[in-house]
Amino acid sequence: MSEIKQQDTEKELTDYQTTAKKPWSWQKKFGFRVLFIFFLAMSIPFSANWYKNVFTLDWSRPHYRDLYDIARFQPSFLSLFGGQRSRDISDSPSGDESAKKNESPKNKAENGAVKKGEAKNDAGLPPKNSFLADYTDWGIALLFALVGALIWTAIDRKSKSYHLLYYWIRVVVRYRAGIGIIGFGFTKLFPTQMPYPSLGLLNSNFGDFTAQKIYWLSVGVVPWYQVFGGVVEIAAGTMLFFRKTTTFGAILLAAALGDITFVNYAYDGGVHVYAFYFVILALFLAADDFPKLYHLLILERYTVPFRIYPDFRKPWLKYSRITLKVLTFVIFFGVLTYTEVINFKYDPYKQPATAGVKKLRGNYHVSEFKINGQVIPFNPLDSTRWQEATFENWTTLTFKINRPVLIDPSNGGGSPMRDIQRTFEISGVAGGQRAFHYYADTVDKVLYLQDKNVMALRGARKGADRGKQDQPKEDNWISKTAWQHIGDENKMIDKVAWSTRRDREFEEKPREVKRHRMVLKYDTTDGSRVILSGINERKDSIYIVLDRYNRKYVLPKSTLNAGKY
Amino acid sequence: MSNTNIPSPPVWTNVEKRLFRFFFLFFILQAIPLSVDFFKTVFGFNWLHISYGDIFNLSRLSAKFIPGTDSFVNWIIVALIALIGAVAWERSKYKNIDYDSFYYWLRVVVRYRLAIGIIGYGFIKFFPLQAPFPSISNLNTSYGDFTDWKIFSMSLGIVPSYEAFLGGIEILAGLLLFFRKTATIGAAIILVFTGNVFISNLAYEGGEYVYATYLIIFALFMIWFDAQRIYNLVSLERPTDPNRFKPNFTGRGKSLRLALKSLIIFFFVFFYGFKTYSGFHHDPYQFPRAKGLNNAAGIYNVSEFRVNGQVLPYAAVNALRWKDVVFEKWATLSIRSDRPVIVDSANYEQVFKNDQDRDYELAGTAGRHYYSYTVDSVNRVLFLNNKNPHYKGERLRLKYERPDSATVILSGTDQHRDSVYVVLNKIDKKYPLKLSRRKALKL
Repeated sequence: MSEIKQQDTEKELTDYQTTAKKPWSWQKKFGFRVLFIFFLAMSIPFSANWYKNVFTLDWSRPHYRDLYDIARFQPSFLSLFGGQRSRDISDSPSGDESAKKNESPKNKAENGAVKKGEAKNDAGLPPKNSFLADYTDWGIALLFALVGALIWTAIDRKSKSYHLLYYWIRVVVRYRAGIGIIGFGFTKLFPTQMPYPSLGLLNSNFGDFTAQKIYWLSVGVVPWYQVFGGVVEIAAGTMLFFRKTTTFGAILLAAALGDITFVNYAYDGGVHVYAFYFVILALFLAADDFPKLYHLLILERYTVPFRIYPDFRKPWLKYSRITLKVLTFVIFFGVLTYTEVINFKYDPYKQPATAGVKKLRGNYHVSEFKINGQVIPFNPLDSTRWQEATFENWTTLTFKINRPVLIDPSNGGGSPMRDIQRTFEISGVAGGQRAFHYYADTVDKVLYLQDKNVMALRGARKGADRGKQDQPKEDNWISKTAWQHIGDENKMIDKVAWSTRRDREFEEKPREVKRHRMVLKYDTTDGSRVILSGINERKDSIYIVLDRYNRKYVLPKSTLNAGKY
Repeated sequence: MSNTNIPSPPVWTNVEKRLFRFFFLFFILQAIPLSVDFFKTVFGFNWLHISYGDIFNLSRLSAKFIPGTDSFVNWIIVALIALIGAVAWERSKYKNIDYDSFYYWLRVVVRYRLAIGIIGYGFIKFFPLQAPFPSISNLNTSYGDFTDWKIFSMSLGIVPSYEAFLGGIEILAGLLLFFRKTATIGAAIILVFTGNVFISNLAYEGGEYVYATYLIIFALFMIWFDAQRIYNLVSLERPTDPNRFKPNFTGRGKSLRLALKSLIIFFFVFFYGFKTYSGFHHDPYQFPRAKGLNNAAGIYNVSEFRVNGQVLPYAAVNALRWKDVVFEKWATLSIRSDRPVIVDSANYEQVFKNDQDRDYELAGTAGRHYYSYTVDSVNRVLFLNNKNPHYKGERLRLKYERPDSATVILSGTDQHRDSVYVVLNKIDKKYPLKLSRRKALKL
C-alpha cells in the first residue's frame, strides 16, 4: 500500500522534489535536533522497573496491570539520579488518573504496599509542589535535548535536512502516544477506573467528599459515559497507528487530554502531568498539518502537502514494520481486551474482589448499641455510637461515628491485589465514615476486621508506639484454625482471574502493621437482623444490633456492574 | 490522475441540487425559531431592561410546533415541510438559481445561528452561573439522594475555574463562527465539545439532548463544506483546492453587511457578556435572591423536638422527627427527616427571574424538604411554603426565638396543624471542599 502511495506521490509531486532537496536553514536544523532528542527522551522508558516488568511478565497468565504498566510511563530522570520522586512504573500507583500528585511518598504507600508490604503507608500527603516543579522531568529532557543538539550540530556538518529522521520520530511518538492512551482507555471501556459508588458512599453527604472524590464519583455513577470516554481515548489512540488518520487522532487526543489536564488541576486529581504529556505528544504530531490547513482554509490557497517517507519496499523494513504493528495490535488490543474483561468481570481493581458473606449485605440501622455493657441511646452527636452501618457486596463493613478521622487523600488507586489495600470506598471521605475490611470465619461466625483507612493508622501509630513493646512479634490475632476456615484470599476470586502477578503479590508477606482491629462474632438467621459482639478497635467490648432496611436511592442503579459477588 | 493546478469550477449535479434545496429549507426553518415561544420571548422582553436571562432564552430557541419540552417530533415536522417545499421548488421557475451563492448564504445563516446558540451557553458558564457552588442543603444530602443530572451539575459547581474554562471554549468556538474563513475550525470545536455534552446529556439523563443534537447538526453542516478538502489534504496527502467562492459585497451591501454583523456581535457578545458578568455579581439565577434570616445560614442539629407537647427523642428511624435543618443565605429553609420526598425534576436550562420559580436547589434531590419563607421580623414569625410542586400548599407558621447566635427555637404549627416545638443548635460543620487541599484534614 505504502509503495503505491509513494509512487503516486512521486509522480504528483515532481515539483516538490525541489522542496525536498532544499536544504534547511541552520535554525530549522538545530530546532529539529532539539525536538528530536526531546521527544525521543519523552517516549522511551528510562526506568529499570519498566524493563523488569516487561521481562518478568508471565504471558501465559497475564494480568491487565502487566500490560497497563507497559503502556504507562513518562520521563522519570530524577529517579535515575537517585532523586526522591521516583516515578517508575511499578512504584507509581497510578492505576488511574489521580495518583500522580501523591507521587513521592504516597505512591510508595499505596503501591509500594504491593511490593514492600505496608512499610510506607504512613507517608501521607501530597508534597507541596509548585506548578513548575511537577514538570522537572520534562525540563531535564529538554536540557538533554539542548546539550545533545549542540553536540550533534558540532559533529554533523553535512546533513542538509532530516526528512527521514522526522518521519521516524513521528513514528516513535505516534506509537508512544497511541499505546499510552489505549492503556488508559481500556480501564474506562470496561468501566473499572471509576467504580459505581458503594452503599457507604451513597449514604455519605455530598459535602463530606473531597473535590477529587466528587469528580471520580460523578463519572462512576454513569458507567456508560465512562465507556464512551474509553471509546474516545481508544479511537484517538487507534487513529495514531495509521498515517492517514494520525492528524485526526492527534487533534482528538489533544482536545480530550487537554480537557482532562484541566479537570485534574481543577479537582486536584493529580494526573495533570501525565495528561498534559499526551497533549504535548499529540500537538507535536498534529503540528505538521497545521500550516497546511491554515494555508488551505484561512488563506484559501491551493495547497500541496509535502512529506517524505522511507522506502518500505526494502524487505527488512517492510517485515519489521509489519511485525511491530501486528505485535502492537495483538498485545494492546487482543491481550489487553482479554485481561480487561477478566478484570471487569471478576476483579475490578478498585473494589475488593472477594465476595462478602452472602447473608450480610445491605444497609443497616443501628438499633441497639452497648459498649462495655452500657447502652448508648441513639444520638447524632455521640462520639462513640455507630449511627448507621453497611455491609457491602464485598468484604467490607462501613459505619459512621460522629468523631473526626484523618481523611485518606489518595484516590484509592493503584492495583493492589489484597482487598484491604483497595481503598476507593473510603479515600476522600469525611463525615466520620469508617470502612473495615473483614476476613470471615463462616464456620465459627467471626469477622476479623481491620481499618482500611491508612491515615487513621498513621495517626494512631504515634500513640501506639508505647504499646508496641507489649505486642508480640508474631501476630496471631487470627488463629490457625480460623485461617483454615477463612481460606486463602488469593484463591477467593474466580479461577479465570488468577494470574501470576496475583500469586507473586500474595507470596510476598506483607509487613505486619497494626491497623485498627476488631474481632466480632456475628449472629443472624437471614441477615435482616444481625447481632455483632466482641472487641472493637479501642479494646472495648461492644454489642450491636443491626436491622437491615431497604433504602431507595434517587440515583439510578448502575446498569454495568463490575465484579462478581 | 490529473495533476493540473488549474481547478475546474465545481459543477452541481442534479442530485446535489435536489439535496441542497431540501437542506436549504430544512436549515432555514430550523434556524428561524418558528415557535410560539419565539414571539412570547421577543414580545415578553422588557426591551429597556433586558436581562441576561432574556438573551439566553432567545439564543436557545429552535423551531417548535408542539408545546412543552423539546422533542424530535418538531424536527420531523420541519423535515416534512422542507421536503414538500423542495419538491415545489423543483417544479417552480426558481429552479435555476446560483447554487454557489445560495450555499454561501445558507452557510451564513447557519453559522450565525450556531454561533449565537453556543455563545448563549458559553457566557453562563464563563461566569459560572449555570452550575453554582452547591447550597448548604445540597452539601448535607446523601450522595444517593440525587439524580445523576443533579450530581453532574453540582460536581461542575464545585470547580468554577473549570466551568469558566468550558465556557471560554464555547465562546471561542462561537467567535470563530462569525468569520467565514475560521468557521470550520469553530464548528470542529463545537463538534468535539457539544458531542461530549450530547453524550453526557444522555448519560446523566439531562433534558438537553434534543438541543445538543440541534447544535451538532448545524456544526456538521458547517464542516461538511470543508470536509472533503481536509480529507484530501490531510489523509490522502494530495494537492488540494481551496474554496473559490467569495461573496462580493459592494457599495451599500458592504456597509449593510458591516452594520448587521457589528450589531449581532455587539448584542450577543459584548452586551450579553456584560449582562452575564453583572448578573454573576448581582443576581445569579439558580438560587433565590431574597435574603434569609439574618446571620442564620448554616446547618442545625435538632436537639429537641416536640409534637403537640409530646417529646420525640432522637431515633435512628422516625418519620415525624426532624433530623437537621438548614438555613440558606437566601430565604430557603430545608428539613431533613425520614419523611419521603417526591423528587421535583427539572433538568434543562431555564433562566427564571422570580424567586418562586428558582427551584435548582431542590431539583433532582430527595432527602430534604425545601421551604421558601418570609420573615415577619416584628412578630418574629417565619411563614414557610414548600417549594416542591408535589407538595403545593404545604405551609408552616413558626415563631422564632434566638436566645444566642448558635441557637434557634421554632414553635408554631406545621402542615398538619399540629403544634411543633423545635430547638435547633448550629453545627460547626466543615467541608473538605472548602478547606485547603494540601493539608491533612481531620473531619
